[in-house]
Amino acid sequence: MVAGHAWVGDLALQHLDAAYNLARWVLGNESDASDAVHDAYLRAARAAHTYAGGDARAWWLAIVRNCCLARLSARRREPSLEQAEGARLIDTLLRTADDEVEARASAAQAGRQVERALQALPVEFREALVLREIEGLSYREIADVLEVPIGTVMSRLSRGRALLQRGLGIPMQEALHGL
Amino acid sequence: MDCSCARALIELYLDDELDREQAAALEAHVDGCADCRGALNGLGEVRRALRDESLRRPAPQALRDRIGADVQAQRPVRNSRARRSAPWMRYAAACLLAFGAGGISLQAWNRLHGTTERTQLARDLFASHWRALAANSPVDVVSSDRHTVKPWFAGRIAQSPPVRDLVEQGFPLVGGRLDYVGDSRVAVLVYRHGHHLIDVYMLPSPATGPVATTAQQGYTLEPITLDGQRAAIVTDMDLQELARFERLLRQ
Repeated sequence: MVAGHAWVGDLALQHLDAAYNLARWVLGNESDASDAVHDAYLRAARAAHTYAGGDARAWWLAIVRNCCLARLSARRREPSLEQAEGARLIDTLLRTADDEVEARASAAQAGRQVERALQALPVEFREALVLREIEGLSYREIADVLEVPIGTVMSRLSRGRALLQRGLGIPMQEALHGL
Repeated sequence: MDCSCARALIELYLDDELDREQAAALEAHVDGCADCRGALNGLGEVRRALRDESLRRPAPQALRDRIGADVQAQRPVRNSRARRSAPWMRYAAACLLAFGAGGISLQAWNRLHGTTERTQLARDLFASHWRALAANSPVDVVSSDRHTVKPWFAGRIAQSPPVRDLVEQGFPLVGGRLDYVGDSRVAVLVYRHGHHLIDVYMLPSPATGPVATTAQQGYTLEPITLDGQRAAIVTDMDLQELARFERLLRQ
């Protein structure tokens, strides 16, 4: 490894919680998340010379995300597990919507319900929501991390929220005619 | 503004991506339209669910240690004396080496460094707010009368802070206190809204860089300029209320 890119280490450590959370939500698994973030740090240290200014946190989180997506696609090569898990999550999501009243009985339970609902979302909606709502990034910053236009960020957030709202059994305002 | 326009802007409003004029227009519409208010409330509920603390977990210490160890191993100067040197020296060494290796441009470094400073400021402000919440009383001078609070700061701090009377708008003044941000002493005005406490920090102008809007564990930090002075609001109010409070403060 090239010495002298210690600033990357400082950057990674400074935004380690954000990186870990993003990885945990993308991968849905804590030990994979740790490994992906460590991979990302090594990659960032090697790629330090490619950093061309701008939002350093977004640069770092974009590398973390790419490492997570690489792991996801490696995982997809073993599809049986993934599919079984997907079916189970959708099932859980439907059931939690039915049991909504009961599930809201305690705050802790509500937390678990939203956790399941969020985990059941397609990854492109989930990651946008995690960056916006849990990490507090602006549209511009999210666009930098996901490497997509701001309009795409907006539509992913919007669709993700609508799916979550339904999944959590929060009443939806009827769509307007002509919208 | 009609409903279809309002619906298109509601999420941008919640995400704090509208300018003041657009936000005011949307609020005016939502005030008079139950359907759009319903849509806003529904999305607000989704937001509250997503901001549940249990959804954000800190990185495990093992991961932090692992990267910390790699960073240490990578540090250029390896004799034991250097290893015991002050953190700023290691930081400076890393800086110099980064420049020497041509790894990043001066501009990029300045930006990165600026980010660090800003984050430090944000951390100080959140820490101060939480400290105040944990204390017996979040204020040094207790008064809902701005004519009591404002003179209290005179003689304690160079620039007397602007104090607003917003009791009729639902933001009564609780009092004021002095706190430290970095190594400067700052005036803090404390307002209340329902059960939420709102700290307004008057920031020393040249000493600190700009602050960005930051959210941490359900608390929000929002920069604002009041009577030409830089300030920051820290609170756990929801963002709509915060935006309203901001507008009232500016008036």
